Amino acid sequence: MSEETILEAKRLGRSFGGIVALENLDLTLAEGKISAIIGPNGAGKTTLFNLIAGVYMPSSGEIHFEGKPLGNAPPHKRAALGIARTFQNVLLFDNLTVLENVMAGQHPRSRYGFFEAALRLPKAHREEETISLKARRYLNLVGLGMYADHNPLSLPLGQQKLLTIARALATEPKLLLLDEPGAGLNALEKEGLSELIRRIRDMGITVILVEHDMDLVMGIAEWVVVLDSGQKIAEGTASQIQRDKRVIAAYLGEEEAIE
Amino acid sequence: MTLDRVRRRWTWLASALMLALLALIPFDWFLSQYTGLMIFIGIYTMVTVGLCLLMGYTGQVSLGQAAFFGIGAYFSAILSKTYGINPWLAMAIGAFATGSFAYLIAFPIFRLRGNYLAMATLGLGIIIFILFRQLGQYTGGPEGMAGIPFLSMGGLTFDTPFKRYFLVWAFCLATLLIAQNIVGSRTGRALRAIHGSESAAESLGINISLYKVKIFVLSAVFASLAGSLFVHHLRYVSPQPFDFLASVLIVVMAVTGGLASIWGAIFGTATIRILGDELLPRLENLATLKAWHIDYLNIIIYGLLLILMMIFMPQGLFVSLRDAFHRWRLKFSPKGANP
Repeated sequence: MSEETILEAKRLGRSFGGIVALENLDLTLAEGKISAIIGPNGAGKTTLFNLIAGVYMPSSGEIHFEGKPLGNAPPHKRAALGIARTFQNVLLFDNLTVLENVMAGQHPRSRYGFFEAALRLPKAHREEETISLKARRYLNLVGLGMYADHNPLSLPLGQQKLLTIARALATEPKLLLLDEPGAGLNALEKEGLSELIRRIRDMGITVILVEHDMDLVMGIAEWVVVLDSGQKIAEGTASQIQRDKRVIAAYLGEEEAIE
Repeated sequence: MTLDRVRRRWTWLASALMLALLALIPFDWFLSQYTGLMIFIGIYTMVTVGLCLLMGYTGQVSLGQAAFFGIGAYFSAILSKTYGINPWLAMAIGAFATGSFAYLIAFPIFRLRGNYLAMATLGLGIIIFILFRQLGQYTGGPEGMAGIPFLSMGGLTFDTPFKRYFLVWAFCLATLLIAQNIVGSRTGRALRAIHGSESAAESLGINISLYKVKIFVLSAVFASLAGSLFVHHLRYVSPQPFDFLASVLIVVMAVTGGLASIWGAIFGTATIRILGDELLPRLENLATLKAWHIDYLNIIIYGLLLILMMIFMPQGLFVSLRDAFHRWRLKFSPKGANP
């Protein structure tokens, strides 16, 4: 392989009580690409995301990020390493403005603390300017610049989802995990989303998405991994996956077959 | 944008007026009969604003703030009276000790959330209160201890309410400024983010347990400093002002002013102190009520106030009044054009 590997899972497993959510997963994802993880409900997609983000720790196996094992690093340390994510259920901060939501994302890339803040020292002032400048840039990138002072929950769902992407981008990640970014969006919004995801990729950020919308996935993903019942059943380019017999079988009865 | 600028101008005007009023209150030709009341409002505001940071901004309940208030008070009282240590040094030692104590208990306590956290802090408050009563050889037990020295600075001894008024309000305003600076900063966003969603906050690199601990310690230090000022004002300390009801009262003050509003802390504290110290005791003369009747009435009224605030003004007195003012102003503005 000529391309660099950004994320590698080795014999990764996770069970909850007696229920195996993910089993013996080997996964290698290339840097700078858009990859998608698909599979029927309960396939282990979200579990995989939570393992990468550090919400759960693996029951077995390990994950390497940029060649180094992530070990038991908690989510906030992984964010500092360059792993950012969005959530299926949005989880915006409704007690912060739209702009402040994105500014909060700058947390791991800024340093000043309680003391400098309490006394408003010059260091705080300087950093604060950089933070708000960068936050505005990310807000403009997703097209929400004019809503900076709004309450995030006053925005329609489509824009709320864009805001969570801006917030995650503000952590200046190397790897961005998008958890069902297309859910609840209309066709036009999905088109805009695809465009945005490609632009993020062009910024040099690796994107991994979990998504149910096959049109969206097949339109943008350069690599597709298919999970079923906690195991990887196939991976390849979109066109390879669409022709894969096992994939079609896994989806029959669950959802309509992939076209 | 213009709306923002107009609002800012009004904020400046209101702040200037408030500050002028505060500076003039203790003079004899103005409202000096309320100097004592205002000293207590200043002291309790420091405790309330700490709780606002912890509860209103970070979303972590504490029903034990009176314990930190009391620890500061007893440290100052015992060190300065029994051991003759300089009162300022005693105050600093008290603040450091209270902060360290809060730091140590924060790690186990913040493994809990929501109702369980509330119960743990409540238990903490009760335990500390019992210690104040039972460690009689140091604290003077239920009777307390008197004869605590005044604070002094160079040749200036804070031996009159007039002088202590300015001392207390200097501390109080400094505390409010620090709190306001924190809320608007990177740290403040992290705290508010924790309140909004812990999962999302940690996904953005915010170390949520560390921030909870830090803000808990800061709120304890604010309360401790207030406790020190309290005993050097009264020159007497007993366990009673640090009981469970005191902790609840601090919550009522924070809720009344607005949990997520720094300057609201003054208004919330003032409302409760005026109600409890000025208005309710007057009932004794009006009706055939006895002092102990009024104690019970107090509790009922505070409870009722808490419920009514939560229902009708969940953002608190300060924000509600401010918004009402701006609505009124817009209605009568000549063009009515401000959006």
